[in-house]
Amino acid sequence: MRIKRIALLIALVVMIAAPASAQDDALTIWADDTRAPILEELGAEFEAEFGVPVVVDELGFGDIRDQFKTAAPAGEGPDLIIGAHDWLGELAVNGLLAEIDVSDVADQFLPASLSAFVYEGVQYGLPYAAENVAFIRNADLVPENPETWDDVRSVSEQLIADGESTYGFIMFDNNPYHFFPLQTAFGGYVFGLTDEGYDPGDVGIDSDGSIAAAAYIEAYGSDGLMPSGIDYDVMHTMFESGDAAMIITGPWAIPRIEESGVNFVVAGIPAGPGGSGKPFLGVQGFMVSAFSENQLLAEAFLFDYIATNEAMASLYSADPRPPAFLETRDSLEDEVMLGFVAAGTEGLAMPAIPEMSSVWTAWGGAMELVRTGELSAEEAFSNAGEQIRALIEGE
Amino acid sequence: MATLALNEKPKRSAFDARTLLRLGVTYIALAILDAMALFLVYAFASDGVWELAITVGVITLIVNVINLRGDLYPLRWISPALALMGLMVVFPIIYTVYVSLTNYGDGNLLTKQQVINRLAQEIYLPEGGKVYLWSLYQEGEGNFALWLTDENDGDNYYFATLGNFEAVDSIDPGADLPEVYQGYRQLSRGEALRASGEAQALVFGAAEAPIGIASRKQAGEFAQRYVFQPENDAVFDHELQSLFHANYETGQFENDEGNTLLTGFISGIGLENYIRFINSPALSGPLVRIFAWTIGFSLASVASTFCVGLLFALLLQNKRIPYRKAFRTLLIVPYAIPGLISVAIWKGMLNPNLGIIPNAFVSLGLEPPPFFIDPGWAKFGILMINLWLGYPYFMLVCSGALASIPSDMYEAAEVDGANWWDKFRSLTLPMLLVAVGPLLIASFTYNFNNFVLIETYDEGGPPMADAGVVPAGHTDILISFAFRLAFGGGRGADFGLASAITIIIFALVAGVTLLQFRVTKGWEETSENV
Repeated sequence: MRIKRIALLIALVVMIAAPASAQDDALTIWADDTRAPILEELGAEFEAEFGVPVVVDELGFGDIRDQFKTAAPAGEGPDLIIGAHDWLGELAVNGLLAEIDVSDVADQFLPASLSAFVYEGVQYGLPYAAENVAFIRNADLVPENPETWDDVRSVSEQLIADGESTYGFIMFDNNPYHFFPLQTAFGGYVFGLTDEGYDPGDVGIDSDGSIAAAAYIEAYGSDGLMPSGIDYDVMHTMFESGDAAMIITGPWAIPRIEESGVNFVVAGIPAGPGGSGKPFLGVQGFMVSAFSENQLLAEAFLFDYIATNEAMASLYSADPRPPAFLETRDSLEDEVMLGFVAAGTEGLAMPAIPEMSSVWTAWGGAMELVRTGELSAEEAFSNAGEQIRALIEGE
Repeated sequence: MATLALNEKPKRSAFDARTLLRLGVTYIALAILDAMALFLVYAFASDGVWELAITVGVITLIVNVINLRGDLYPLRWISPALALMGLMVVFPIIYTVYVSLTNYGDGNLLTKQQVINRLAQEIYLPEGGKVYLWSLYQEGEGNFALWLTDENDGDNYYFATLGNFEAVDSIDPGADLPEVYQGYRQLSRGEALRASGEAQALVFGAAEAPIGIASRKQAGEFAQRYVFQPENDAVFDHELQSLFHANYETGQFENDEGNTLLTGFISGIGLENYIRFINSPALSGPLVRIFAWTIGFSLASVASTFCVGLLFALLLQNKRIPYRKAFRTLLIVPYAIPGLISVAIWKGMLNPNLGIIPNAFVSLGLEPPPFFIDPGWAKFGILMINLWLGYPYFMLVCSGALASIPSDMYEAAEVDGANWWDKFRSLTLPMLLVAVGPLLIASFTYNFNNFVLIETYDEGGPPMADAGVVPAGHTDILISFAFRLAFGGGRGADFGLASAITIIIFALVAGVTLLQFRVTKGWEETSENV
């Protein structure tokens, strides 16, 4: 009797498990909820033309990376994923991505967005959007965009002296991402850039330019032009209530600024002694799994269906971020978006090398130590440079 | 059937209706459980997660044995708990120990076989190899062939079947490709795409110059770049003509020059992670201070929550206080709100620029306390929030424990002339600690690893100015520091090192807990003497 039961049980298990193992020749894409519907439409067109079904699985944006890392080696991953270029180091170093050949479409994309998807000299992704922070001012308080950081300072001093607002320009205490444009304006950098991509052996956190930028902020704060203890929400609340006149922020914050009713203008980052301020570019795009059995199909979908103005325009309308595809980028009309595009034209792709993960804590800590007056700009950023080098060398 | 031994009725009929019912329920329940377990085992095994498949299988087997054998019936009712403990507690510990002995992490995520398979995909163009644009042809529903166009040299055409390669002279350069050639039909773009997976695996052309499809446009005399040689346990790179031996210490394929291939594999590296941690400058730097703060934070959290909780419990025990139930309900509120939300609200209230608390100081004409800026104030803020989050728990526990102290003891004490303080010190507290002691230890252990609070409050900040080469914050506790050490290191996530640190912290906490159990033994003796 027991054996019969066990046999019944096994039959049941086989019945449950059988459909799960069925695999067909579909092209599978993992995308997040804003982009999945667009890709489904494009997929339907692709299927109508080539008879290959496209399956779009919807995952949380962050889950795509984490689950891809487990699913791809097990042979259960998708053929294509949508993702951010800063995942590249993590995914490529594990051998999970396939090289793609973009040579015949390269001139149609923003160059920095394409090179963002290069890791150790190999192209691993096709970009579609490149977003960045920009300089945003309250147009009622600051009618003209300050050209340089010295102008920012004098405009702020004037505003405070005239009592027009509590503060002029304010920024995050400890967020390197928002600080980086200022750092580059003074000639600073994070990792040296070579033809092969970013060089983890060349850490620029304690370069003269980086320290000069930190010293600017140090003096700016200690002269009473900006309080300490500013985080993202404080910065925005002060800007939206008119207590601050200028901030650096990204397109994701535009809805809340619009809601506040402040008359604002988005523009490029002011320049400094090191040239124009270059924000980090966060590039989003498509990557092909190295474990896909449909790599040629995936490439065909990318190059025939995604790398077109129509597809890029519909991706833009579903999720407005500055497009990486030049034709779509050039046809933008939205003032705010054009402001971000202007700020990002000289942007630098955020380093995607795995060593980048060693940078944030020390870098943000150094900013905070400068802002609280615990250490001088030089001491704090020199320490941070040492800490980052030690981390990269493996403790 | 042995299970009948369970039936304590004197009548031992095998066909007793209740027995049958119970047998039926047992078998159906086991069958459902086994079906789910087997499905899990199958799913895990087909994903290659053998360790989990084996664990689930073994646990299910044990549960079956326990429930089918009559002589094991005392274990029957705790078998679900045992099974869950095996799966959720014992297995993760064993697995963590195992991972801590490997180099598992970014850069070494795949198994050796997966790396070999991945490398086998890489192709290269040998010197003098030709590259063409390809177009796919098919003979009926059978063999494929490639129409090749050499763009470099004017438009020269070639036709490559499986085993044959020939130049095509009959077509003018620039003309449309023939729909049918030598009995092969040109496939439409869609057909070609659908067949591309199959065609990419094929080798076209003559044996001496094999041609394969390399990308969506190019085909040519490409060759497999990396070939695994089992006899040498090495991968041969045909492009560089170099042999890469498997190095199990680093989990990489390495050649004599020390160069490595694409990606590493998971490899057992013994105690290397522990040695790395012990030798890391983190230990000579801020670790002592972090450890001291971890202990201080845990002790202060336990002491403050316990004292405040006990105080409220004592107050609410006093029948003279009106609306006691309403107060008790209100005082539990912090416990009912998810901790994450409470921490976020507190964070906003303490914000030096906009927070209501610093603003209240300002409107009173006082200097606002710099909660996130000054290390001492940051620590004070964390303890305050943890007190807010934790006191309702001890209030509830103490209320229960206080109610269970027999009132005749107090009466006896009063007869002996004890005052309020004597009663509390010699009667209430010892009796209470017997019940609450283990919970104090549990609370200490919990706070010792209270990662969520630290991380949501200020991610361990403000940073230590003199932390040395490893960034650390003044409010970092061991676990949050270890998190940054393991996941902020040179190459992304390092699960091996993280596991090793976790095991070390586990040993620390276990040691502290054992010590505390020894101390609380004294409390239990008190209760035996009372």
